[in-house]
Amino acid sequence: MKKQKKISTILIYLVLILVTITMLFPFVWMLSSSLKLDKDIFTFPIQWIPKEPQWDNYKNIWTRIPLAIFIKNTAKITLIVTFLQLLTSSFAAYAFSKLHFKGKDILFMAYIATIAVPWQAYMVPQFIMMRSFGLNNTHLAIILLQAFSAFGVFMMRQFYQGIPDSLIEAARIDGMNDYQIYAKIMLPLSKPGLSTLTIFTFVNTWNDFLGPLLYLTRDNLKTIQIGLRMFITQYSAEYSLIMAASVVVLIPVLVVFLSLQKYFVQGVAATGVKG
Amino acid sequence: MKKFKKSFVLTLFAVVLGIVVLAGCGNSGSSSSSSSESGSSSSGKTKITWALWDIDSSTYYKPLIKAFEKENPNIDVEMLDLGSTDYMTVLGTQLSGGDNNIDVASIKDMPGYASLVSKNQLEPLSKLAKNVDLDSYGGLVYQIKVNKEFYALPFRNDIYVMYYNKDLFDAAGVDYPKNGITWDEYNTLVQEVSKKATKAKGSQVYGGHYHTWRSQVQLYGILNGKNTLVSDDYSFLQPYYETVLAQQKAGYVQDYSALKTSSLSYSAAFYQNNVATMVMGSWFIPTLETAMSSGQSEKFNWGIATMPVPKGVDDGTTAGTITSLAINANSKKKKAAYKFVEFVTGKKGASIIAKTGTMPAIQTTDVIESIASTDGFPSDAASKEALSVKKTYLELPYSKNVAEVDTILNDAHDNIMSGNASIKDELKNASDQVKALK
Amino acid sequence: MEQIQKINKAAKKRKRKENLTAYSFIAPNFLGFAIFTLGPIIFAIILSFYKWDGSNPMEFIGFDNFTRMWGDSRVQAAFINTIVFVIGTVPLTLIFSLFLAVLLNKKIKGRNIFRTVSFFPYVASLVAVAAVWNMIFSPVNGPINEILKTLGMMDPPRWAADKNWAMVTIIFFSVWKQIGYYMVIFLAGLQGISEEMYEASELDGANSWQKFRNVTLPQLRPVTFFVMMMLTINSFKVYDQVYMITQGGPGTSTLVLVYEIYNTAFKNWDLGYSSAISMLLFVLVLLVTVFQFKGEKGFVNE
Repeated sequence: MKKQKKISTILIYLVLILVTITMLFPFVWMLSSSLKLDKDIFTFPIQWIPKEPQWDNYKNIWTRIPLAIFIKNTAKITLIVTFLQLLTSSFAAYAFSKLHFKGKDILFMAYIATIAVPWQAYMVPQFIMMRSFGLNNTHLAIILLQAFSAFGVFMMRQFYQGIPDSLIEAARIDGMNDYQIYAKIMLPLSKPGLSTLTIFTFVNTWNDFLGPLLYLTRDNLKTIQIGLRMFITQYSAEYSLIMAASVVVLIPVLVVFLSLQKYFVQGVAATGVKG
Repeated sequence: MKKFKKSFVLTLFAVVLGIVVLAGCGNSGSSSSSSSESGSSSSGKTKITWALWDIDSSTYYKPLIKAFEKENPNIDVEMLDLGSTDYMTVLGTQLSGGDNNIDVASIKDMPGYASLVSKNQLEPLSKLAKNVDLDSYGGLVYQIKVNKEFYALPFRNDIYVMYYNKDLFDAAGVDYPKNGITWDEYNTLVQEVSKKATKAKGSQVYGGHYHTWRSQVQLYGILNGKNTLVSDDYSFLQPYYETVLAQQKAGYVQDYSALKTSSLSYSAAFYQNNVATMVMGSWFIPTLETAMSSGQSEKFNWGIATMPVPKGVDDGTTAGTITSLAINANSKKKKAAYKFVEFVTGKKGASIIAKTGTMPAIQTTDVIESIASTDGFPSDAASKEALSVKKTYLELPYSKNVAEVDTILNDAHDNIMSGNASIKDELKNASDQVKALK
Repeated sequence: MEQIQKINKAAKKRKRKENLTAYSFIAPNFLGFAIFTLGPIIFAIILSFYKWDGSNPMEFIGFDNFTRMWGDSRVQAAFINTIVFVIGTVPLTLIFSLFLAVLLNKKIKGRNIFRTVSFFPYVASLVAVAAVWNMIFSPVNGPINEILKTLGMMDPPRWAADKNWAMVTIIFFSVWKQIGYYMVIFLAGLQGISEEMYEASELDGANSWQKFRNVTLPQLRPVTFFVMMMLTINSFKVYDQVYMITQGGPGTSTLVLVYEIYNTAFKNWDLGYSSAISMLLFVLVLLVTVFQFKGEKGFVNE
């Protein structure tokens, strides 16, 4: 029995190491390219450790484009969107999963249905509408576009479905109203779900390209992804700078992921969801 | 308990509202200050907005604006960088629905121009520009005419020339390419220099280089002036594809699919010092000069010759792409906007643009002189001579369906070059698709 | 009689109160959603019956946009390619991400590192990873083909450059890029399964596979349903990967519906037609989704 366990542990690690190599490959490549001259990036065979590391690339990205401003803008948009998304989605999801009301199915279907429509289909009407509100060239436009996604509601609803109704009935009998149940029971219990949504919203907003491209045309408003694109100018692609900037830009997302990870681990004991 | 409920909900809403309002104020403040609609500010100045791309890498924007504002102290020009990769998409969106934030717009390509014209978003210029000598643009304006009217004036005309690596030719012991060589002579040259230089250097040298753009092959088909790329019979392109594919198969040039998947830019390819010749636009001149001095490129001597032409085509014929300026039909400051357009596309603008090493649309001997005297330009007389052209053909002429045609041609090029279809079938297929367009 | 009426009234009142409470929960999200998403979408639906270039007046043309689609070879190609992509991507991603989540939910050393690593492809900027991917699968001297050659494969596939392999390349890339994303959803779902259930099943003498079949899978049903649905919808909406790797080529071999929608809208400025193609996609996704919802009902009540 013990021997079997040992073998299976070894197997698991073997698989995980294989996965790690596949997953890490691009990052290592990014890192190594970020320290090269453009002309050396696409040479074969791949030179993993650059002969003369170009540390200047990491200096240049700050001066070639206003990267600091872009990061500030992106951080601002991302934080607000993530906050609004978490709050409004978890709020709405509570009603969709634990309350009975008129029009529930129709409303929910409306949400789901819009997930199925590709954004490219309604980008132009949406843009014209936003502009008529005077929101062209404002961060508010991007925030409003991103913050009320149907996806967030749908996902939180799925997580709430997993929380047994009996808990809520019990709380009602104890005299709690729905707002209290939401705040005191649902929120703490759905930490894994909330963390997941945080990560997704954060990554999506952080990496969003098409929205800022259409709405933010003034330099002081632009975001990081537009900045990355700036390095791919029409006539020459400055990949080393793109890679250096990509590495810098990746860091905040990883920090968010790492800091939220403990909520996945926390699991059963802390949330108290049992059977 | 009730109290809790109320206060909780209230706080929640307050937070949401607060954030939305704060975010809104923060932004509308900054945006209204930068895009003041009122046209004239307190000092009586008119501010016009110019939509363009790549402020930082294009050296001529700022000198142009500076010179213009000096001449017209009551007009301010503001630049609006829409980025280069999706420029026409963003410009189209910004102008949609009759918006007037942008007054002057750079026009990057023909499909984009055609769509803006059909959407009535560009101001017709024939009346405003009746004093402009259209012949000074070497016939370019006639190629962008739409039913006798035109909606833009060119300020840049990048012609195609052949860049060559002198060191590789020296190593191979082959004479430098001459101005005015034909397509067949070029084919022989590519093979010869490829074989000899590879042998001499002991490593792979490519005689030529075709970037992944379809124009790299298709342009040769239109230089005789008989065909254009908006056509319902593309069989005239067949010989050029046959030659290029044969070169590729023999390894004289790099493989199309490899170039495409590795996203190798043509400049990076040329910098590697293993490409002997490359036909490319004159926009590459300042880029190459800078790359040589900054160390982005391997060090080698280079020169310029004319673009190879099919047999029977006059010397001094080449292909070109223009960048032009247009006025937003909904602009509230058309007069000031036109003044600016006239300045940039005129002789004064041309000389300012030329000083930065970029080819302006008006190409006089002074202009050529000025480009040839930029730092790092090859010192031989032939290279300078290669810049004087007599006839330029635009890649795509104006046509109503030019955007659709562009897509069809791109597909065909991709299929042929990656070996997924025979040349004959694919060109026939493209012809049929264009025929089917209404 | 009066008693009953009173009870009825009270019930009605309670019902109304419950409705109001529910609406107050939904309102903050719904308002934003209705204005900024639902509204434009409804406009897009209307637009599919019009001819419009975003500037000139709109012109009603009935079903012309839809009949036009029938004979459009590009739309047909895009339709088929999209379905091929969905069929290729969904099962692969589902199986791999679930497998990885189960592995990384075990109490093993360094699992935080492994989790983070698996999430890498998803968080990294697409511009950067697409460039890497293109290099690895380069048909001329990319590492993959070099390895295949040393393994004795004389004529390895030309991947993105071959019209028969381009879609396969994009499917591989998509699976690789999104495994981490769906793995995270599964991981979160796995946290909801109580240790006791596993212990109970262990007492019954279940082995790992039986535990997975009898405890993990049934408990994960709501999450699996969610993943499957999002995955299907997202796969139907594939765009970025295609744009970055093949731009729809070679020829039209990887042209997908959203790519054609974007092209029609922003290159040809044929907004009505572009909306009509979107409606085709929408109906397609809706059919699959309804089918899946039906499946879930059976699934959950089981």
